[in-house]
Amino acid sequence: METAMNAGSTKEFDDLLKKKKKSKKKADALRVFPLFLMMLPGLIYLVCNNYLPMFGILIAFKKVDFSIGILKSPWVGLKNFEFLFATKDATTMIRNTLLYNIVWIALGTVIAIFIALCMAEIANRPIAKVIQPVICFPSMVSAVILSYIVYGFLSTTYGFINNGILGGAKINFYATAKYWPLILTIVHFWQSSGQSSIIYMASIGGIDKGLYESARIDGATKMKQIVYITLPLLRPMIILMLLMAVGKIFNSDFGMFYQVPLNSGLIYSTTQTIDTYVYRALLEMNNVGMSSAASVFQAILGFILVVVSNAVVRKVDSDSALF
Amino acid sequence: MKEKYKAPTIRDEKAFHNLALILMSILAIYCIVPFFLMVSISLSSEQALSSGGYSFWPKEFSTAAYSYMWAKRITIGRCYGLTILVTVVGTIGNLILTSLFAYPLSRKDFKLRNFFAFLVFFTVMFNGGMTASYIVWTRLFHIKNTIWAYILPGSLMGAMNVLMVRNYYNLNIPYAIIEAARIDGANDLRIYLGIMLPLSKPVMTTIGLFAALGYWNNWTSGLYYISDTKLFTIQVYLKKLMDNIAFLKTSDIAAESATLAYKSLPTEGARMAMAIVAILPMLLVYPFIQKELVKGMVVGGVKG
Repeated sequence: METAMNAGSTKEFDDLLKKKKKSKKKADALRVFPLFLMMLPGLIYLVCNNYLPMFGILIAFKKVDFSIGILKSPWVGLKNFEFLFATKDATTMIRNTLLYNIVWIALGTVIAIFIALCMAEIANRPIAKVIQPVICFPSMVSAVILSYIVYGFLSTTYGFINNGILGGAKINFYATAKYWPLILTIVHFWQSSGQSSIIYMASIGGIDKGLYESARIDGATKMKQIVYITLPLLRPMIILMLLMAVGKIFNSDFGMFYQVPLNSGLIYSTTQTIDTYVYRALLEMNNVGMSSAASVFQAILGFILVVVSNAVVRKVDSDSALF
Repeated sequence: MKEKYKAPTIRDEKAFHNLALILMSILAIYCIVPFFLMVSISLSSEQALSSGGYSFWPKEFSTAAYSYMWAKRITIGRCYGLTILVTVVGTIGNLILTSLFAYPLSRKDFKLRNFFAFLVFFTVMFNGGMTASYIVWTRLFHIKNTIWAYILPGSLMGAMNVLMVRNYYNLNIPYAIIEAARIDGANDLRIYLGIMLPLSKPVMTTIGLFAALGYWNNWTSGLYYISDTKLFTIQVYLKKLMDNIAFLKTSDIAAESATLAYKSLPTEGARMAMAIVAILPMLLVYPFIQKELVKGMVVGGVKG
């Protein structure tokens, strides 16, 4: 009798539990539904803007004919890539992209740290509140405005360099490739050095002042303080920034390489990067195959580098790893 | 006794301090001087420019460039109006999409939150490339020569921003508040509007400022998707203006007609004046927003 009752009650209890679970599931679904609804606009955008183009990678393996549609266009395997790498453009753009990036990363790190050290030194002065915004301002202007400023300096007939400095020399900068590595480097650092120093400035600001105090009591000179306190403490940040820059080494600032040289065809040998090539092949040469091959090449190598550099970041400083 | 704790003054510290001050002042001057060249060109008479070239001090002071712009006020005004419209719509859209997406990701009782966070994050690591993106936007969504070309491709919802806002919610808004609100019967929309948005003003300001800056400066969308002159923003208008000049200067064919066409273009001074007008609004608001921008650069610099 007792056991029967017990059995009965357990069964009832189980049923109740099941019912509750069911209603809980229902309640869960009801609870989660509004959350899905809130994410819907963003999800739609992600699909349109990011995930559909990922399938667009297939275009690089097809001979696209828009009259019959992309889906029906015939597959050509790696033909587009073979054509691309057979051209001189391929070596030029990969060489340029990598060389500019390597030089700018190395030089940029030194410049950014140097500015940060100087700014941290004068941080307490009122004038620093003026200097800091001023040195960051160039990074706020677009490549189009930048091209106007650069044109003001380099224009053959009117430019400040030809008229003001070289006294009427007529160097046609926009037709002479050899000047552009230097010009672009100057323009790049004019635009970005203030901004890139900010991150190091913030790190220096976070260093314990007591360390410097005790170093001074021990008689350490400023140089020694920088070498033995500031730089070692900045090291994780430096490594992190370097690795993140390496992850983007196949990318370039499109505006800097396309608009600042005014899209001049005579200087492609020193201004063509993968990004400008992708644009030019697509919209100036109407060659979807070459363009997509270059852009897929960039996307895949970029992906590999991001994953690898992140793995290294994780080893160095797991808190800073992206994933 | 007190003397003992005072750190000894070391001469090279003073020297370093002064050196830093001088170098940074030079850097600041170096950073703004090119803008003065623009201003000087725009305030010089055309004759002075063609005889002596550009210089940092206007040789023959003239406001002809600005008069020319005033005569063209309808065209420039339309470009300006469109730029403002794109910036406002894009920034608001960006903030809404980003925060709406970030809220569910921050809800600890939302089991799929990690899956969706990964869905967002994956787009940071991998993308289909510009060509695929262009084909999707033009062939599938037909945004060529519409105002959507400025707003939609690329910049409406940044993956890193979504994750940044989510982290902000997680760190700064205690989950207990959300639970309490739910117990009191508030639905999710209510929680989002009444708690999350008001409490996340700092991060929203940062994201909004960078989004606005991006939309204001966006000229690549115009390059890819816009050929209708009625839909030019100020940046695209300036870009096309520079194209015409670059083309006319390099083409040898029909030199005479080229000079004729060149005459009808705005003068050297007028072009620089237009470029100044394009950065003027930024110059005006920059002093007030620079602190926020710097804060954003520190946060965004590490991740993203």
